[in-house]
Amino acid sequence: MMMKKRLMAVMSAAAVMAAALTGCGSSSQGGGQSGNGGAADVPAEPFGDTVKYDPAAAINDGKDISIELWEWGSDELFQQVIDGYCAIHPNVSIKLVNNPWEDYWTKLPLALDGSNGPALFNVHNSYHENLINYMAPLEIPLEDLEADFTGVEAHVIDGKVYYIDYGMMTGSVYYNKDMWEAAGLTEADIPKTWDEMREVAKKLTIKEGDKLIQAGLNFNDDFHQNYLLGLNYQLGENLFLEDGRTPNVTCDAMKQVMQMLVDMYKVDGVGSENFGEKGSDSFGQGQSAMVIQWGHYYNTLNTTWTDINFGVFEIPTFDGNPYAYNRYNGESTFGINKNAAADQQAVAQDFVKYFLANDEAQIAFNLAMSTFPAKKSLADSEEIMQNPSLSVLAEHIDHYIWPGPMPSTVETSLKTAGQDIFFNGVDIDTALNAAQENIIRDMKSSTFQSVEHLYKYAK
Amino acid sequence: MRRKVYTITLNVILLLLGIITVYPFVWMLFSSFKVNKEIMALEQHLLPQVFTVENYINMNARFNFMRFFANSLLVTIVITLAVIYTSTICGFVLSKYKFKGRELLFGFVLSTMMIPWCVTIIPKYSMIQKFGWLDSYKALIIPAMFSGFGIFNMKQHIATLPDEILEAARIDGANEFFIFHRIIFPMAKNGISSIAIFQFLWAWEDYLWPYLIISTKEKQLLAVGLKMFSGQYSTDYGALFAATAISIIPVLLIYIIFQKQFIAGVASAAVKG
Repeated sequence: MMMKKRLMAVMSAAAVMAAALTGCGSSSQGGGQSGNGGAADVPAEPFGDTVKYDPAAAINDGKDISIELWEWGSDELFQQVIDGYCAIHPNVSIKLVNNPWEDYWTKLPLALDGSNGPALFNVHNSYHENLINYMAPLEIPLEDLEADFTGVEAHVIDGKVYYIDYGMMTGSVYYNKDMWEAAGLTEADIPKTWDEMREVAKKLTIKEGDKLIQAGLNFNDDFHQNYLLGLNYQLGENLFLEDGRTPNVTCDAMKQVMQMLVDMYKVDGVGSENFGEKGSDSFGQGQSAMVIQWGHYYNTLNTTWTDINFGVFEIPTFDGNPYAYNRYNGESTFGINKNAAADQQAVAQDFVKYFLANDEAQIAFNLAMSTFPAKKSLADSEEIMQNPSLSVLAEHIDHYIWPGPMPSTVETSLKTAGQDIFFNGVDIDTALNAAQENIIRDMKSSTFQSVEHLYKYAK
Repeated sequence: MRRKVYTITLNVILLLLGIITVYPFVWMLFSSFKVNKEIMALEQHLLPQVFTVENYINMNARFNFMRFFANSLLVTIVITLAVIYTSTICGFVLSKYKFKGRELLFGFVLSTMMIPWCVTIIPKYSMIQKFGWLDSYKALIIPAMFSGFGIFNMKQHIATLPDEILEAARIDGANEFFIFHRIIFPMAKNGISSIAIFQFLWAWEDYLWPYLIISTKEKQLLAVGLKMFSGQYSTDYGALFAATAISIIPVLLIYIIFQKQFIAGVASAAVKG
């Protein structure tokens, strides 16, 4: 009896405290479910470039149908597209299921393996091998996709495409404008080459005796992603040899890049491996003047590090005339579940077509992710150009390479190599040889095949 | 004198260890009143430099916190009550009844505690899929109704109760149903308290299984909701800490109220073989 009373008291107290602290159960402010449709415009005419969407075509013969769309990230973003689609097709109901990024990749394959998985799901190409066997090919003609979007050919498997990129993300230099000004630098000092970059970084570095107070450049924790796996292209070397599987991390270009990083810290003294665990955080904390980061960092600066007055410029090159500027990675379009019911798959196919033809959705997704639009007609879009992290890419966007959905071992092995060099005193040759061996060993069971040869200016 | 110095030294060490243990929790609690840039600032302060309750107000921006909280409370209470009952009845049978294969059966129960969850999760998921229980609380509650740890704990605890009491009850005409509910159950409250605390905590913080099973947003549990604050590229630490601070209230209350019986229950299960 006593126990029962206590239990009741516990539950009541918990509920009251939680209610008080959360403002008494106010309803969700965002990310609501579909069905509210609301103010979404209903187009009357077909729209799109080569891939056209005809809103007059009935879906599922006008009969009611429900499908699920699984995603991670911003509910609002996906909901806008769903609302637009459902406004055209009121007989279609799309249930949005939001997932945490990390474990989405555990749940999704399990769900796709059965017959109750989502008809549509968000894809990231780093999980390509886990998902591709559950995906149905797009029914949009390949040549139409190629006419409208960049990089489609890299996604072709046996003449079919299962997903493509709606946006391309890559690295740019983010600099602190206040520090820039304090160092007496102007817009004219924005470096074009790595030699100029090193000189600028020296000017931005502040030391008290031997103690580093402000790093001119900080690449801690992300040097592998933002330098080692990209600058090799500037020197004309791919990440994989001609067979598309053997890593090329022991090439002279990779050694040159690694040596440059070591020299920046050890010779120029513009930063230190011990100055902040992560370069990205150090920049946000106002401790470092420059970092190279991928597009998503633009959003991080605008949401987390709101006090930083920053600018963006394109990644420097070694000689001003690179084979390619850097590596990029694509943000992928939705996948369609091949195990879903045929009528659900038909809706999913139609939804993907709507998404690809819809410029508004393409712009919204690219701005949300800070990716450069893969849709060719949007390359000079005014809204895209207003985002500085995207506008700096515009001039040379066709000079970026996607190596394909690389297994994670390529990144982790090079990270280990860099850490061994900086922290354990291992020489560059030994560290890169170890990385090479590690990648070869880890990739034995992988079906990965590089698509570097599909680069527009491939040698 | 020597003893006094020893006691003081020991207490100081324990105090330091206590502070080290509690500090991250206190830091999280204070950080739930900080803005994100202060949480991630290079120069850290325990107390917020700029006090804000925005993290608490904005918690609902990602999901309906109260709905998730209520869902978690419901599922956790049902699982905890079910485990208390099944563990006590199984513990009673295994400790007070003598039958062929009893030790084998107990060994089997113990072996279920030794199998890592990651080995069973995929077959369990496939079974739930076949049963058509996906996106249903049945899949969360029914497989969790029996606990190897609970049965083990209650068997040890009930074994400490004198057989003579049961014999006397039987002589007085009590049937086994009566004996269990009116004699064993009240006398096992220390053991029950410890199971209640453990089971409540485990069910409350269980993340992966509810996440794999539940897809409908309105049915989702709080532990899953907390994960939503961690994105692909960044984490909303302020909101995460605020939601976490509230989410631990039920567990704290359960522990505070049952701690006396819990400690007694754990001690009795530990000393009686």
